[in-house]
Amino acid sequence: MPTIPLWRRLNPHLTDLWDWRSRAVFWRNAQVWGRNWRTALIPPAMEPVVSLMAFGFGVGSFVGSMTYTKEGAVHAIDYASYMAPGLLAYAMFTSSFFEALYSSYVRMFYQKTWDGILATQVELRHIVWGEITWASARALWNASVVSAVLLGLDLAGVLHLQLAWLPLLPLLGFVVGWAFGAFGLLFTAVVPSIDHMNYPVFLVGIPLGLVSNTYFPIDRVGPWAVRLSQLNPVYHLSETCRAVLLGGEVTGPLAMTLLTSGVLLVVCAGLVQMLMRRRVLGED
Amino acid sequence: MTEVPLLQAIGLVKRYDGRAVVDGLDLQLYRGEVLGLLGPNGAGKTTTLRMLYGFIKPDSGQILYQGRDFAAERQALRGLVGVCTQEDTLDADFCVRDNLRIYASYFRPQQPDLQQRIEQLLTQFGLLEFAERFPPELSGGYKRRLMIARSLIHRPAVLFLDEPTTGLDPAARLDLWRLVLRLRSEGLGIVLTTHYMDEAERLSDRIALLAKGRTAAQGSTRQVLGAVLGEHIVEVSREQPQAAEVQAWSRQHLGKAPGEALDGWHLALTGAQLVEFTAQFAELRFAVRDPTLDDLFLALSLDPTPTAAEP
Repeated sequence: MPTIPLWRRLNPHLTDLWDWRSRAVFWRNAQVWGRNWRTALIPPAMEPVVSLMAFGFGVGSFVGSMTYTKEGAVHAIDYASYMAPGLLAYAMFTSSFFEALYSSYVRMFYQKTWDGILATQVELRHIVWGEITWASARALWNASVVSAVLLGLDLAGVLHLQLAWLPLLPLLGFVVGWAFGAFGLLFTAVVPSIDHMNYPVFLVGIPLGLVSNTYFPIDRVGPWAVRLSQLNPVYHLSETCRAVLLGGEVTGPLAMTLLTSGVLLVVCAGLVQMLMRRRVLGED
Repeated sequence: MTEVPLLQAIGLVKRYDGRAVVDGLDLQLYRGEVLGLLGPNGAGKTTTLRMLYGFIKPDSGQILYQGRDFAAERQALRGLVGVCTQEDTLDADFCVRDNLRIYASYFRPQQPDLQQRIEQLLTQFGLLEFAERFPPELSGGYKRRLMIARSLIHRPAVLFLDEPTTGLDPAARLDLWRLVLRLRSEGLGIVLTTHYMDEAERLSDRIALLAKGRTAAQGSTRQVLGAVLGEHIVEVSREQPQAAEVQAWSRQHLGKAPGEALDGWHLALTGAQLVEFTAQFAELRFAVRDPTLDDLFLALSLDPTPTAAEP
């Protein structure tokens, strides 16, 4: 009897991730987006600038200086520099999560793009993987733009970051984007209408993003919040970005980011495949 | 016919919530033929189509394309199939030309002469002047043309046309009929579903009549009409003094009430039954004509379980 590898047992559809049919769906979305890439520059470029102005410099002037522990010593840093890595992590999360949530829903439900594709050699499972990978590509793009903004602000002397490993962070965005994309698509598979997106957006997405060390240290909320955050990949991602950009210890948070994202990806991708079959094909 | 059918369905079954929507369906399609798949709402047409072109898998039964098992060679055989669904599924993010190009990217092997193929289809379907427009800018007729052109981009052997002319004006319908007949003459096997019986009659070489998820009859239009309805349709006005007797005669001799029409009843009779009816109602004014698919559709709507011998 042939032995089925563990990773294949965990998610029987994982090999479809690099199938030509999944790539065809990915390239379809990439081509549409490619026509509007200039417009697509605006949100990821403006969001960190506005957030840094409003919170980093505005609210930050009331906060005063904060502390960050690296190499066993506590260092004082300005609030804007504390917040900037969190903004990068938040951009990675929201861009992939919302792409899979809203844009995929529009393609699936309103534009009937999926129905058209399903009349070809491409199967539903490839559409799902194509959408998830596309969501992760959006995380790569948005993280790249935010990184460029942070670089500019640092060179202008507004932020005080360590930039040596900054170019690698968007690649991390691409990796974790798979998990966040699959997570977003999970809700796309079950919401009855686009109006019901308020549930995943305001009850899941935004809380998960904000209560994750993005804007403030979660330990101020209480030890229970810190314990709960260990399950949140956005928290670990935020910590990883902060460690990279403020010179902290990277290995621990990076390992936790990859672990929690990996678990999220395997669980959500399997569930999405099952729920989408029910939603799109009417199969049990 | 001894040639291997392009498409063959054997004993297809599909159940939803324990209820058989398709219940042992058989059909064949040959090269250069239009098969009209007909039946009232709920007969199982849509589910049948979705199984045949691979949207959903049958619970049991077998689908063969050119004699090859669809379940075993699914990916390769889906390349033989072109699908034009009833609903417009054009990609609104791409212009007409790019709709064809992007659709081709969903098939392997890739067309070696893709650019040429795109231009050929744009010309053949009269879409060249709209090539740079986007689908929402097209009229209903041209959207349909693009839907069909798109489903042919990978040179399929079998084309599914699901209600291709619904919502089109008469001129656009006529245009599409010409296109369908041309595709048939090029050797394509076409499965057509439609609610327009004149369309089914004009385009179909054979029809497969579905009722309660089964093939109730399959053959030429005349064969199916003869098998299911009989040879003649008698039209009787309800205003006639003998109306009640006609109803009673129908129940007694045909086992059911006469079919309802706008201003009267329709009785589908064999030659022998017509002789008997004429003898019984010598004083009655009635008209006799050949049965049509409209009569069949009406009869099926009233009684979805026709008793028919396979012609």
